[in-house]
Amino acid sequence: MTAVIEVNNLSKHYKDKRALDNVSLSLEGDAIYGLLGRNGAGKTTLMSILTAQNFATSGDVKVFGEHPYENARVLSRICFVRESQKYPDDATPRHAFKAASLFFTNWDQELAEQLIKEFQLPMKQTIKKLSRGQLSAVGVIIGLASRADITFFDEPYLGLDAVARQIFYDRLLEDYSEHPRTIILSSHLIDEVANLIERVIVIDDGKILLNEETDAVRDRAVTVVGDSAEVDAWVASREVLHRDQLGRVASVTVLGALSSEERAQVTASGLDLAPVSLQQLIVRLTQKASAESGAENQEVR
Amino acid sequence: MIEEGKALFLQIAEQIEDSILDGSLEEESKAPSTNELAAFYRINPATAAKGVAMLTDKGVLYKRRGIGMFVQSGARELLLGERRSAFADRYIDPLLAEARTLGLGADDLAALLRERAAVAASASTTEGNPA
Amino acid sequence: MSRTLNVIRLQLINKQTFIWVPLIVLAGATLLSVLIYAMIPGGEPKYGGGGQAPLWVFFAVGMTAMTLTFPFSQAMSITRREFFVGTLITAVLGSAFMGVLFLIGGAIELLTDGYGVNGYVFHLPWLWEAGPLGAFIVYFTLALFFFVVGFTGATIYKSWGAVVITVVGVAVGLSLIGIIYLITRLELWEQVWIGILDFGALGLALWGLVAVAVLAGISFLAFRRAKP
Repeated sequence: MTAVIEVNNLSKHYKDKRALDNVSLSLEGDAIYGLLGRNGAGKTTLMSILTAQNFATSGDVKVFGEHPYENARVLSRICFVRESQKYPDDATPRHAFKAASLFFTNWDQELAEQLIKEFQLPMKQTIKKLSRGQLSAVGVIIGLASRADITFFDEPYLGLDAVARQIFYDRLLEDYSEHPRTIILSSHLIDEVANLIERVIVIDDGKILLNEETDAVRDRAVTVVGDSAEVDAWVASREVLHRDQLGRVASVTVLGALSSEERAQVTASGLDLAPVSLQQLIVRLTQKASAESGAENQEVR
Repeated sequence: MIEEGKALFLQIAEQIEDSILDGSLEEESKAPSTNELAAFYRINPATAAKGVAMLTDKGVLYKRRGIGMFVQSGARELLLGERRSAFADRYIDPLLAEARTLGLGADDLAALLRERAAVAASASTTEGNPA
Repeated sequence: MSRTLNVIRLQLINKQTFIWVPLIVLAGATLLSVLIYAMIPGGEPKYGGGGQAPLWVFFAVGMTAMTLTFPFSQAMSITRREFFVGTLITAVLGSAFMGVLFLIGGAIELLTDGYGVNGYVFHLPWLWEAGPLGAFIVYFTLALFFFVVGFTGATIYKSWGAVVITVVGVAVGLSLIGIIYLITRLELWEQVWIGILDFGALGLALWGLVAVAVLAGISFLAFRRAKP
């Protein structure tokens, strides 16, 4: 099956910054992908280039097998509402949704109406005057009701309170179940979206740190807690992601899933095992990567 | 309900197995659909599908064309057998580890076990008898 | 093709932008002018520039078409070419609307002898030398010109940055001042006026359309790499 999105050695340089550094990935389609990373890691840049809203410095990008630039055939099947999306002067949400219905061939007005009610979006007020959360709701509604073959959600929940976020996640799953398509969700609230995404793509400092199935990553790490001497002995042969110490008690997060024999060994030595959430794992991996690149930069100097 | 550090599709499968074991999901009855599971646990339908697929491979569920997934007859026995062998790993080993920390030996444990089992048995009989 | 037509519909979803605001501004400016005329004594015909008010609206609309509507069009997955062509066509239609309003205003003024106070906002003789069609083209071109200047300025700003647009603006300003200085220095004003009168409003308007085409070309080139 050909990939719906193919990125090969994509780089994007600005004068003093490398926003994307030799990024390559291939997305099969009809799945929910999580594009995770810190602020400024390169998530929005990547999505902008995929939708021809920004331009690569080098490397190439193919969507549905074609280059997206000025390509109506490809672009009409994509929807990308960015995090701080601009709307026409004095436009109201009603105007915005009318516009969306003109250009997205799969637009579902009924779904839009349902979402408008659930998010309690005031339709007659100009978008300029909406709160941050209501502004996000407009973007989320356009993204969901467009039913575009590839839909990008760029940190869609900014300004949305926990209730509204849950509405978004629930409606997203519901609509995705009934109308499977490709959804790429960028977020830094990893634990909130962990159960929604089938694949985790972590970007840090313009590079891809991780690109795997979510379940494969879930048991990728474990935290061992107990007497520091015992813990250190046990983790000696493993890759350490993070270490905390309080008095004589050490808490060390290591990479690598444990077999049941190993688990038994650990508990037998009086140590405790704690699970590592996806968010914790990614945070630790990211911290480790920046520590390592910081060290490299030191060496180069 | 959902734990960290463990593959989600395995957890979903386990939840279904639990309900088969405790009788709330009977053999030859219809199992929840992928979309129902996804909505209930608020997870991606593909993950739910993986869990269901695993149970099908195991012989716990089977597919009736055009209708959906059903619980295989004999599934309960199958799962009981599986859980019994895993029982020692899942429950006994942690129990022993904790007991060691508290300075309880195997005999102390055995006495405790018998004592608590008696209490539990009498509690369920008094519950069964109308007051 | 239909997507380009939909861009026109997109621009017209909010009727205020191209229709109501220019109309209201024009009506307001006209009303103000008439009130002022009414207060001026004397039977001489009075002419005023109130008709230029909506032109500035078109300038602003041209700018926001680029600064706000373009980024929105990107979210709607519209290609840059579709957006450019559709928006320009909408500007042409809007300018034609202005032209028609101008004609209607002129007709009203002729019929009422300047609103009964011999005051004219639309029927300025020099503009109507070539007849109503000429007047239409003049006003149409003015509106379109103002739109395109706003649009091109905003495009240069978005594509090439604040420095470039400032340099361009200053250069244009300096050139104009330079030309005026030269004409004054060489005492060519009489020739200039005669030349303008010979050309007539219509002639100038046609050159104006050429300028519009050039500006549109520049903005399209800049636009191809604009980021929303």
